[in-house]
Amino acid sequence: MSADVSDLSLVRRVQRGDKGAFDALVLKYQHKLVKLVMRYVRNPAEAEDVAQEAFIKAYRALPQFRGDSAFYTWLYRIAINTAKNAVVSRDRSPIEYDLDRHNTDESYDMQGRMKDSETPEGLVLTDEIRTTVNAAIDCLPEDLRTAIVLRELEGLSYEEIAAAMDCPVGTVRSRIFRAREAIDRRLREVFEGGLGRAEELG
Amino acid sequence: MNEELDSQLSAMFDDELPPAECELLARRLSRDEQLKARWGRYAVMGTVIRAESGVRLNGPLAARVSAVLLAEPALTVAALPAAPRRAGVRWWQPVAASALAAGVAAVSILFLRSEAPPSAAPLSAQQPAMVRGSAIMPASVPAPLSAAAPDSYVVPRTPSVRPVVVPMTELANYVVAHSMVSSPVARRNLLSAFMTGEGAAPGIEAVRENAKIAQ
Repeated sequence: MSADVSDLSLVRRVQRGDKGAFDALVLKYQHKLVKLVMRYVRNPAEAEDVAQEAFIKAYRALPQFRGDSAFYTWLYRIAINTAKNAVVSRDRSPIEYDLDRHNTDESYDMQGRMKDSETPEGLVLTDEIRTTVNAAIDCLPEDLRTAIVLRELEGLSYEEIAAAMDCPVGTVRSRIFRAREAIDRRLREVFEGGLGRAEELG
Repeated sequence: MNEELDSQLSAMFDDELPPAECELLARRLSRDEQLKARWGRYAVMGTVIRAESGVRLNGPLAARVSAVLLAEPALTVAALPAAPRRAGVRWWQPVAASALAAGVAAVSILFLRSEAPPSAAPLSAQQPAMVRGSAIMPASVPAPLSAAAPDSYVVPRTPSVRPVVVPMTELANYVVAHSMVSSPVARRNLLSAFMTGEGAAPGIEAVRENAKIAQ
């Protein structure tokens, strides 16, 4: 399968005036972009502001996007430039972020910084979402769990997963879909319940 | 929700859906809020599995971007500089390329024709003459000249003088008639060559040469 086909089909729709397609791109890449911007700015709330600005800039610049590179690569460059400009304009030096550090150290560091500015209900919900997804993955049958982890954690293509699991590509597609469905059944409850709680708190 | 549709959504999220199906699903995804919410949850799952911490999984970023974009003008085809225009002109590109190739070929043929000698016959017409020439050596074509000629891809001109084949009896009479006035040395050379068959069918020119030497 050629790379970036799904993003490109959404991008073409946005370029033809369909703003709804841009929502899908934001939903897909918002976490990655915030994570990226947090290498430059100090806290998650500020990172979200910068990421929002980057998305808006990307939307406005989308007529110039010709698909020569992957959409995320293009978006990545916009986000980096936006973050650097934000740092300069606020007269702050970027955080030294060692990419080679171990994941656990990184998680601890980010979690610590996030807690500085996150609201209590937001933190509870984020934790609940994590717990729910991890618990749902633990409950998955072995073949479904392996397929979804190889896809999401290792970033393997369906063809590579099929080779690793010694099964047809169609089976891989089905396993990943069923894994997502199983996780989503639990996740939906958290989101719906969480939103309700947030409204009560608000 | 339709299971096949959800399966397609999952494959599209992984960039594993065929382009044609992607186009159709992208259209539906941009309009269907329920499908969009599911798409967003797929992104959350990936973030959790990759243990990407430090980001709010229930954050309002997407909603905020969407709200800002409501005030933005929708992009139009007229605002697109490259992609649609490129698609619009794509049809004439193969035609132009073919026309260019045909033009170059025509110019090349004309150039080669102008370079070739005007009397040059086609190769197929020349070959039989060359075969004949090898069987009966034309007297007017000196052998050393052709042997010394450098390699060339130019087709040699057809000799304008046809080979003259002198009948043996006529030649013998000619030799005898001239032996009366030729020197004894020249006469002996000529007759010995004639008798041994070295000049099996000498042309009239060769005989004339000998006659000149004798005089």
